[in-house]
Amino acid sequence: MTRSAPHPPCALAELGVVTALGVSIEETWPRLVAGDQSRFVERDDLSPGVVRRFGAVVADLPAVPASLRHLACRNNELALAAYQQIAGGVDAARRRFGDHRIGVVVGTSTSGIASAERAFRERAQTGRLSADFDLAQMEHGGLPEFLTLLAGVRGPHYAIATACSAGAKALVSARALLELDLCDAVIAGGVDSLCQLTARGFGALQSIATGITNPMSRNRDGLTLGEGAALFLVTRDGDGIQLLGAGESSDAHHMSAPDPAGGGAESCMRAALADARLAPEAIAYLNLHGTGTPQNDAVESKAVERVFGHGLACSSTKPLVGHLLGASGAVEAAFCWMLLARRDGDAMAVPPHRWDGATDPELAALELAKPGTRVAAPLPVAVMSTSFGFGGSNCALVLGDARP
Amino acid sequence: MRVAVQRWAAWANGVEGESGWRVWARRPEAPIPGDPPDVSFLPALQRRRCDALARAMLYVAHECCPDESIASLPTVFASRHGPIATTVTLLHDLAEQRPVSPTRFSHSVHNTPAGLFSIWSGNRQPSTSVSARQESFVQGYVEALCTLHRRAARRVLFVTGDEPIPEELAALHDEGAGGYAVALLLSRDEGDAIRLARRPDEAGQPVSRAWPDALEFVRWWLSDEPTLAIAHGGIRWTWERGAEPSAS
Repeated sequence: MTRSAPHPPCALAELGVVTALGVSIEETWPRLVAGDQSRFVERDDLSPGVVRRFGAVVADLPAVPASLRHLACRNNELALAAYQQIAGGVDAARRRFGDHRIGVVVGTSTSGIASAERAFRERAQTGRLSADFDLAQMEHGGLPEFLTLLAGVRGPHYAIATACSAGAKALVSARALLELDLCDAVIAGGVDSLCQLTARGFGALQSIATGITNPMSRNRDGLTLGEGAALFLVTRDGDGIQLLGAGESSDAHHMSAPDPAGGGAESCMRAALADARLAPEAIAYLNLHGTGTPQNDAVESKAVERVFGHGLACSSTKPLVGHLLGASGAVEAAFCWMLLARRDGDAMAVPPHRWDGATDPELAALELAKPGTRVAAPLPVAVMSTSFGFGGSNCALVLGDARP
Repeated sequence: MRVAVQRWAAWANGVEGESGWRVWARRPEAPIPGDPPDVSFLPALQRRRCDALARAMLYVAHECCPDESIASLPTVFASRHGPIATTVTLLHDLAEQRPVSPTRFSHSVHNTPAGLFSIWSGNRQPSTSVSARQESFVQGYVEALCTLHRRAARRVLFVTGDEPIPEELAALHDEGAGGYAVALLLSRDEGDAIRLARRPDEAGQPVSRAWPDALEFVRWWLSDEPTLAIAHGGIRWTWERGAEPSAS
């Protein structure tokens, strides 16, 4: 039984998405449900001398306008490619509500740090940072500034910088800005780009998979990095796919390792259910954090079992696009949005969990979705996505749709 | 929503305690880069993990909330640059193809002060870290209001600050040198009421000051001026003390 929702409607009205799977919803969806792992590319430039696979976006990206040259970096090019997909909706909202009523809240962990890496390489050779480098490219706040200027809006605008939970938490803040009546619409999501800092940093932590990440397997040996962007236009519309609930918590345990007891992971999932006024049985699908590191999967599988018991269809989509760090929470919410949007009657296709099938007896046994899995989706249908980040920052989102 | 400042604390090099800030507020000046504050309340291992920014932010958090309630408050941390000195060290390591320290990497994320705060205080409440270029204080305050709005939160600890900008990047930097932190314990129930309003103001030019917005807020809070106005990006933000809530 569900009680009436405590929050006013919060619609994820428009979506733009860019990942290794594609640069539009149309391109992404068939590859997502097929579990297409062919999109990873081998690169040796991000960890010099070490060949690893990355969920890189290989399509040509749009150029940052000349007027925003100080913000020209790959991170903002990815943001622009996602923004172009929702620009029409943003324009309509701006005309309807006024530019000062449209906000921007976006998660990122890397910002455009790859531009700073190039600038510092040049400095090591010539003694000077490259001339086209601007501090705004590596500031987390450069991303919301870019989108604010691009969209021609003046509402509250800031980056959420809580590492791998940032893209999910941005949607929670967007909802609060609407409920506080500080905005009438919010551009919200996450953007992250490949760089040496994360490739070598996670390498130093012994956390990069030798092949493609293999979450929940006894053979798992780390994560695979990816890049991309997902941007929603969040509004008060009662129609359309809704953000039904959110839960947040802190581990208070360690900067780069999850609390082995999994209390933070469990409490954010329970808080999201309570916020959505839903029982665990009401969730039709769970998009796991599922990084493929030994520690994450051990903690996460047990926390999921404690909250949901057995039988809930789950998958990690990181074996399809990689770990998008500060964008992952937004991109995985985007995948949830797509499967809600592409429902077929009372059933819903879900992304398969791609792995080697080698069960780890140390983990709680989850119902990992096989290719072709369709789950029952009785109305109102609800799904969950989880994100757990450095610093012990956790966030779970519940998305849903009540429309037939 | 009624909002009040229940307690506050600030740190900059050479300015000590509330009496020091009262002296500073009469003749405000830019923070002078120097040694970070004494965080001897932290266990030795955790103290070693703290860079200048984390030391300053944890110091003001502790000053603002000296009792056990510090473990039960949701938090918002706002910083323009985050742990920029650690990031610049990593950028040199990458440029010169030196090994990357895993500990340094995991302490380079923007939410490092928030993570270290949570670990030290045992605080498992929701925490958000934000960044918004020159507007990091103002936008962080907005996120603090968002956190207060969430149903269960009657109070929020808002911590803001920046460490000195490394010399490699100083020529590209368009603000003061950094080296400060401010904590505000905002409450829906107790304390001196305060209201923030925002309106479009095409003519509103940002006032150029030698000290950051967060310290300008402290200066105003210690003054008898009824309002504080800060303009950014065609928006005028106005704080008013003693104001009861309006519709929004």
